[in-house]
Amino acid sequence: MNPAMNPKQASAAAAISGPGRIWTELSILFRIQFAIVRDSWVWVVLMATMFPLTTTLFMSFFADNPSEEMMIRIIAGNLIFGVIVMGMNGMGQEISWQKHQGHFTYYASLPISKLNFVLANLLRGLMNTLPSFIILAMIGQWGYGIEFHYSWGLPVVVILSLASVVGIGVCIGFWSPNHQLTNMLVQALMMFVTFLSPVMVDIQQLPVPLQWLSYLFPTTYAADAMRNVLLAGWSTGVMLDCVVLLAYSVVTIFVINNLVKWRIGE
Amino acid sequence: MARIIYEIDHVSQLYKRGKVKANVDITLQVQEGEILGVLGPNGAGKSTLIKQMIGHLQPTEGKVSFYGTDVVQQTRRVAQQVAYYSQEPHVLASLKVQEALVFTGRLRGMAKLEAECQAEELLEMMGMTELRRKQLKHLSGGQRRMIGIGTVMIGSLPVMILDEPTNELDPANRRLVWNLIKERNLQGATVILVTHNVLEAEQVVDRVAVINHGRLLAIDAVAKLKQKVDQRLKFELITEFGRREEAAAAMRQWGHLHINGENRLILLVDKESASQVLDYIVHFPELPIEEYAVKPPSLEDVYFHIDGQAEREASGA
Repeated sequence: MNPAMNPKQASAAAAISGPGRIWTELSILFRIQFAIVRDSWVWVVLMATMFPLTTTLFMSFFADNPSEEMMIRIIAGNLIFGVIVMGMNGMGQEISWQKHQGHFTYYASLPISKLNFVLANLLRGLMNTLPSFIILAMIGQWGYGIEFHYSWGLPVVVILSLASVVGIGVCIGFWSPNHQLTNMLVQALMMFVTFLSPVMVDIQQLPVPLQWLSYLFPTTYAADAMRNVLLAGWSTGVMLDCVVLLAYSVVTIFVINNLVKWRIGE
Repeated sequence: MARIIYEIDHVSQLYKRGKVKANVDITLQVQEGEILGVLGPNGAGKSTLIKQMIGHLQPTEGKVSFYGTDVVQQTRRVAQQVAYYSQEPHVLASLKVQEALVFTGRLRGMAKLEAECQAEELLEMMGMTELRRKQLKHLSGGQRRMIGIGTVMIGSLPVMILDEPTNELDPANRRLVWNLIKERNLQGATVILVTHNVLEAEQVVDRVAVINHGRLLAIDAVAKLKQKVDQRLKFELITEFGRREEAAAAMRQWGHLHINGENRLILLVDKESASQVLDYIVHFPELPIEEYAVKPPSLEDVYFHIDGQAEREASGA
């Protein structure tokens, strides 16, 4: 075995800096997060799909001869519901649990950047939510025979929707004062955001106070962008929604970076 | 004279406007190349001190310096040079054994090949080569701890801080861990060993810091601390069952006798008369003693002596 390094050697070993070091850190941290997903992917897919799928089925049974536009609204809303279930609810609970188990001490004791750690967690959130997104889109297309409008804007909307909603979940997880409170909070928030904001319904159908409140949630913009991009492709409205979602994503990364308890002064 | 790696200068950690004191006015130094044991019961303030040393907690008073510079100003450098083993072995539970070691090494800045080679060497030393493809969550608690120790060793950093490294380990693995620590120390690493297992720590530590109620009660070389406690030799006697009182009556003449169980006695004897006592036990056939052992003061005695003294002083005050 190599003898213990002296301080200079140790610094040199860890001083590999610049993009190479950032990439190494990110890829290793991502692989650690991926291992967690690899471990439970069946449950991830099942959980992420069951909620929105049952809601989709229920809503399609409920409406008498739903039009294609209505079905797109239902499916787009449920795509976002899947993201809320896994990104906001699932990630919030999971990260909170890790936090209170003291898992972050391991990461903070390594010479890695906090931002890379945050990004790796966000990437895991994206991995958790993407399967349900794809499955529901497939069900919509083949199960209900709906012709989605596939445009170059769709991946942009998908990525920004996932990033902004997952960001909220990750934020809650890192903020979590205790695990029980976090569990209750994310579940209450999930129900509120899904059913009392314009995810499933049109904003005009909501009472005015809820309309105002819904402008605070990224899901409002995500659902709107998703509907419009699936119905008609990229438009100015979709672009504006995307700008808001991008702002949400950037702000949540910034907030998470401040919430993560890391080394002093970092 | 050895270099000072850590200088802890009148450090306190107070919460709730000083009503809760996690540690109070701790001053100590850690010298390069030593194994310093930090001993104390659960809740003594050991983990708080360690968090201050690795830059995860800013002291409310005082300063922790690492190679002469305040830790607060260089937490990343501390992370580059100090390998820390916390009591949390499940962080990497989803990873395979080899992944856990290699990834930790790479996050410490090692090249891929170097990390893989060292991971393999460590697994070999720990006799866990066959487990390399197993996920940590499928290992026993003890095996996971061993891999946790491996993650501290990988990268061969100059300073290692280990928090209760032998918890949950069987005797063979405990010995292996102590040997690994000693070996790494011989190669030049400075080791700070946090434990409440006083008996085991005695096998490896050079100096000991005793902490309780957030205060540093004593710090010195093990031998010097032992001189401060009762210098009488301790005879541990196991009597024939049901004949303890008979044995006690016969042995009481030699020194201070404690009854330590249904058939166990402890006799404290002055060093000068120890050989006579031994002679008496060996050559007196009627004595109902089945087994005996003679022990000098142990680190455990030192620990209880210092801790008891502090308790008495506190209650007297």
